[in-house]
Amino acid sequence: MAAPAPAVTIGKATSVSMRWRRRAIFGQNIGELVLVYGLLSLVLIETLYPLIWVLFGSFKSKEEVITNVWGPPTQLLWSNYAEAWTISGMGARIFNSASITAGALLLLVLAATPAAYALSRIRFRGRNVVMAFIVAAMLVPPQVMAIPLFMTARDLGLVNSRVGIAIIHAASTLPLSIFIMRSFFLTLPMELEDAARMDGASRLQTLWHVMLPLIRPGIALVTIFAFIEIWNDFFLAFLLLREPSVQTIPLGLVAFFQQYGSMWNLYFAALTLTTLPVIAVFLLMQRHFIAGLTAGAVKS
Amino acid sequence: MAASARRKEAMGGDAFAAALMLAPAALLLGLFFVWPFLRGLWISATRWDGFSAPVFVGFANYARLFGDGLFQGALINNLIFVALILVFKNGFGMGLALLLDRALFLRGPIRAAVFIPVTLSFAATGLLWSWIYNPVFGLLNAALDLAGLAGLKRSWLGDAEIALYAIVAVDIWKWLGFHAVIYLAGLQTIPAELYEAARIDGANAFHRFRHVTLPLMMPVVLINVILGLSGAFVRNFDIVQVLTQGGPNHATEVVMTLMVKTAFQDGNMGYASAMGFTLFLIVGLCCVALLALMRRSRVEL
Repeated sequence: MAAPAPAVTIGKATSVSMRWRRRAIFGQNIGELVLVYGLLSLVLIETLYPLIWVLFGSFKSKEEVITNVWGPPTQLLWSNYAEAWTISGMGARIFNSASITAGALLLLVLAATPAAYALSRIRFRGRNVVMAFIVAAMLVPPQVMAIPLFMTARDLGLVNSRVGIAIIHAASTLPLSIFIMRSFFLTLPMELEDAARMDGASRLQTLWHVMLPLIRPGIALVTIFAFIEIWNDFFLAFLLLREPSVQTIPLGLVAFFQQYGSMWNLYFAALTLTTLPVIAVFLLMQRHFIAGLTAGAVKS
Repeated sequence: MAASARRKEAMGGDAFAAALMLAPAALLLGLFFVWPFLRGLWISATRWDGFSAPVFVGFANYARLFGDGLFQGALINNLIFVALILVFKNGFGMGLALLLDRALFLRGPIRAAVFIPVTLSFAATGLLWSWIYNPVFGLLNAALDLAGLAGLKRSWLGDAEIALYAIVAVDIWKWLGFHAVIYLAGLQTIPAELYEAARIDGANAFHRFRHVTLPLMMPVVLINVILGLSGAFVRNFDIVQVLTQGGPNHATEVVMTLMVKTAFQDGNMGYASAMGFTLFLIVGLCCVALLALMRRSRVEL
């Protein structure tokens, strides 16, 4: 009974690949290809050159950054990295960012998964109201509530607290995560679950043993999205983390820049050090990431 | 009868299970979403420095917004920001997607490359661009020198006339890949047969875009606009804060930066909250209007 879903996917894939073949035969001439790749090269330069420029700058001496603006470094000053690491206190910032992000993601998945399951599988009174609330909450950026959010955090003793900001991150990414996970649950066939229920499994057992292994792609997608959001967050950290000892990488970069603004080579090194891992993770996972993004936004 | 009793019992058990499963999410959203929202409404009706006892002032804070030149300036900057961003992100995003759709080789790697800025933090992006825009050592002025356009060189973020547009350009740079990827996915759902048919009917490339691509892409355009909208209104705090902090002389002030200043520098929580909710109301109305438009064009989100 699970057959129809894969069949649809296969059908679509075939039509797309056939379409490419057909276009390759009829559609394009050399002139058009030259134009397309010429323009794409411009876009690539505009996108990537600033990043390469930072990488180049991170190896230059303070003088060479000014005298050799464009080109690659004439020598590789690895010491920039060591120096940037020491004076920026990046180690502590990376630890803060990592622990806050990990805690928030764990809480997010623990809260979003059962909620999404209940909203997709269990009929209960008020389900539509809850769902409408989730959609509305998705469209309300938490930033507009910055002041009462800060006050609430202050009353609960969650200002300048890594645990506090992790909880608030989990809450603010929750509506979209529930929405995404629910759409994943909705694609799973009912029969599997009915079978488990028939065998006497409770709702929680069904969720844990039957649904959870199947919903892994959904959890992965939510985690990737929330990771980028939380790891990169500036606003909530700016609002809630006033003590330098608990501050995250984005705040650390800004503070470093304001303090050592004239040592741009060190600054470039700090920037490279903190952004390269994120770019690497993205490039490793980009297929899943882009597939998930477009599956949510474009329904054919 | 037994069956109906069992079903009823199952429903009761299900309601309990559902409540249990929703409880963690409800707790989080209740504490950090619903409660701050209601509390913010109350704060916006008071005069409050955040510490002493709040004084109820009714709608006075909202009324004050109408006569506040600084707020109106920030709102106008915000609207310029939104308009430019929606036009350029969608225009360039669609353009890039059309190019990628025609690219037979290396489409995947190029798509991944243009997506990289999306994954960077606003802090990193902002600081990177503050160096590109640097009047003395910056890449942009160096490029103008190289191109023989030294006359165009300027202090990009220090000039009140253009600082706002300089910030908008950074935001477009960061999000271009995001919108292009969604447009590309949309383009790939359009059956090739339609293009062939149009070609046979003698439609040129522009006509094919105008009469085949664009009408079929309208739902995707709307999704992109909605995705960009609340960000353009509200999530511009980071980039403005990092690049100019609203300066020079409020030339790049947006509602969010003004709100944070009003709250934490001037200690005026009530008035700042009123700014937040006014912005929320404007974004909400825009979203509702767009969703209505989407429903009319029969799209599912």
